[in-house]
Amino acid sequence: MSPSADDLYDPELQQSVLLTKVEWVKDWGRRNALWPMAFGLACCAMEMMATAATKYDLDRFGSGVFRASPRQSDLMIVAGTVTHKMAPRVRRLYDQMPDPKYAIAMGACVIGGGPYSRFGYHVVQGVDLVIPVDIYVPGCPPRPEALIDAIRKLQERIRVRGGKSLPPEDHLKNRERILAMSAS
Amino acid sequence: MSEPAATPSAPAPAAPADPVTALAARKLRAALGAAVLEVVETGRHPYVRVAPGAIVAAATLVRDDPELAMDCCHLVTGVDWPAKTPADGPGELEVVYHLVSYARRPAAEVLRSKVKSDNFLALKVRVPRDKPEVPSVMGVWVGADWHERETWDLLGVRFTGRPPLRRILLPEDWPGHPLRKDWEYPVEYHGIPIIPPEGR
Amino acid sequence: MSGSEPVPAVPAVPGVVAPATPPVVDASELSSLVGQSLRTEELVVNMGPQHPSTHGVLRVVIKTDGEVVTALQPHIGNLHRCAEKIGESLPYYQWLPYVDRMDYLAAINNEHGACLAIERLGGIVVPERAEYVRLILAEVQRVASHIFAMGVYGLDIGAITPFLHTFRERERGLDLLDHIAGGRLLYHVVRIGGVKRDLSPEWIDECHAFLDAVERRLPEYNALLLDNHIFQERTCGIGVITGKQAVAWGVTGPALRASGVDWDCRRDAPYGIYDRFPFEVPVAPSGLAGTVGDCFHRHWVRFKEVEQSISIVRRALRALPPGEIMAKLPKTFKPPKGEVFVRVENPRGELAYYAVSEGAEKPWRMRCRGPSFSNIAVVTEIAPGTLIADLVALMGSLDIVLGEVDR
Ligand code: SF4
Repeated sequence: MSPSADDLYDPELQQSVLLTKVEWVKDWGRRNALWPMAFGLACCAMEMMATAATKYDLDRFGSGVFRASPRQSDLMIVAGTVTHKMAPRVRRLYDQMPDPKYAIAMGACVIGGGPYSRFGYHVVQGVDLVIPVDIYVPGCPPRPEALIDAIRKLQERIRVRGGKSLPPEDHLKNRERILAMSAS
Repeated sequence: MSEPAATPSAPAPAAPADPVTALAARKLRAALGAAVLEVVETGRHPYVRVAPGAIVAAATLVRDDPELAMDCCHLVTGVDWPAKTPADGPGELEVVYHLVSYARRPAAEVLRSKVKSDNFLALKVRVPRDKPEVPSVMGVWVGADWHERETWDLLGVRFTGRPPLRRILLPEDWPGHPLRKDWEYPVEYHGIPIIPPEGR
Repeated sequence: MSGSEPVPAVPAVPGVVAPATPPVVDASELSSLVGQSLRTEELVVNMGPQHPSTHGVLRVVIKTDGEVVTALQPHIGNLHRCAEKIGESLPYYQWLPYVDRMDYLAAINNEHGACLAIERLGGIVVPERAEYVRLILAEVQRVASHIFAMGVYGLDIGAITPFLHTFRERERGLDLLDHIAGGRLLYHVVRIGGVKRDLSPEWIDECHAFLDAVERRLPEYNALLLDNHIFQERTCGIGVITGKQAVAWGVTGPALRASGVDWDCRRDAPYGIYDRFPFEVPVAPSGLAGTVGDCFHRHWVRFKEVEQSISIVRRALRALPPGEIMAKLPKTFKPPKGEVFVRVENPRGELAYYAVSEGAEKPWRMRCRGPSFSNIAVVTEIAPGTLIADLVALMGSLDIVLGEVDR
């Protein structure tokens, strides 16, 4: 066992020094300053904008800093419909984000093709086929409250499970689930 | 319109002919003669159908004629009419031009009578489905450019005599033209599976 | 970027003139020197599809000479959602939700147009009250859409304050539509044959309050944008579309009126009951700051249209007749064989539907003309010669929605 704090410091120092893990501090910073990328694709992006604007004010949760560059952001809110023409670009933008990175799938379209899943030949039937997704927000479009809830959930996830990006196994599992869901 | 009249004895309210279409038909007939193939002056969608080879001449005429002055190409679109049975040949593709005139103000009585505004004209062209070539009207209205590209992209109508047609909405290597009635959903595109409608 | 060959005296970076040797040459010699060794070349820059100023997923390939755009090509289709194929694959009434999603900032106006087209195809007469409700909702939506456009335009050219101010009122407008339709953005409340929900007296009071609030705030938006010197500097004389160009390219809506063409579908080709509410069509006058047809005028037209819409809604709310809101429809709706072409005035321009029926439950062809499609095409002619920064101002002022460009 490693020596406890009591062995190392005298009691007076313990009153003023907080001992913790570096990882914990890093995660604390990460979850309270999730910088989303300003990446709107379709109708859901309007609700994403509304979430950041006056009434809902995403800034309250430390996530109002929408960055225009993927290199400065660590959360990708995929809001809108991903099409086959757009899919490679979504992937590339995701790859450009620094680790650890998270993705929120906002809206029915990105979850499984939404209203377009049946006849929309050009719509990717779930962004999970392209990038790993941490949190899914259903709705068409989801209300801003739902997006705020998703961000809170992501913060909770980082607190409980640490700030690592989604492991690849989980992504594969999601992907298979989507395929099975759409095939049935 | 092909709605049967209710009673043959009382064809009372004879549908009013659309003034613009009637005027355009008269002028086009005078200029192009037999190239004007079909004129529908009444109903909800009056139009003039011309031979594919005459479309540019017709377009130039309706644009430059001071009484018609169709200065804006509002919409170019296509409709697919495949043959009902294989014996009927390859079927046809129809290209519809919706034209609007801003120079021609709507007459006051038109505004009051709630008839459709008289600044609108439709031209049509029909080409065989296996050789869908239509001369481009881009030289007449620049705005037709993107509409023609879209009609090529989704229906596969080849417009000739214009800068090379490129797909506009779909990726360059997309298979086929989706709005053709016999188009089939692909099963996969660049590694991303597509589940066709029957599977959904 | 350039500078592949070694250049001895003058650095190859344009703009940096730091001569290594003392400037003992006279001016003519210097200029000839610059001409030789400052090799400038055209650069191809890719803007988008992920770019904050393109309003969605528009990709623009720009050829630039320094800061000046020499040629540009918009690449659209990144949001092509196959609305027309879906239109052919579903019964008429099931297509309406998809219509909402084409221009997602003006869903009611889109529904209105689609319903008009289908009703004309099937010969359905809409009850009086439903016509009024449609008009009121459409104009409320227009106000919401225009103030959104005004705020976002500020954001495009670097002013974040108007965005926050206009969103405050837009949220009230969305709440209003939410209370009647149950959705904030996409409503599906205008249906074939009428409207789904009726206006309650409380809703009408709420609507009056909303209109008053917007009217009260308009001078504030004005102070932030139109009267703002920086805004004027950024927009006056920038991206001038002449009336002739606008007509030739098929530009419609506020952009057309800003170019001095006096045309509004609601007045000149009235649909619904717009002919009962005469209103003033704002057309860009000469005598404002800038040139007719520039970004400033487009913004000005939008601003004036909000005022007109407010007055239309007020009059319509007062004249609202009692009665049914839904026509009697057969169980299976099969319009007779035929075709229609219907134009309506969207906040962004003229939306047109071309529907072909073969007498079946599903349409044979459903074509929708999104106004933004033609409005964005015009930049290929306007943009060459402007600065890159002005290109953002130009595209923002056209107020495109990619959903209806690509459909
Ligand atoms: S989920 Fe609905 S609102 Fe969101 S992008 Fe798709 S269609 Fe639009």
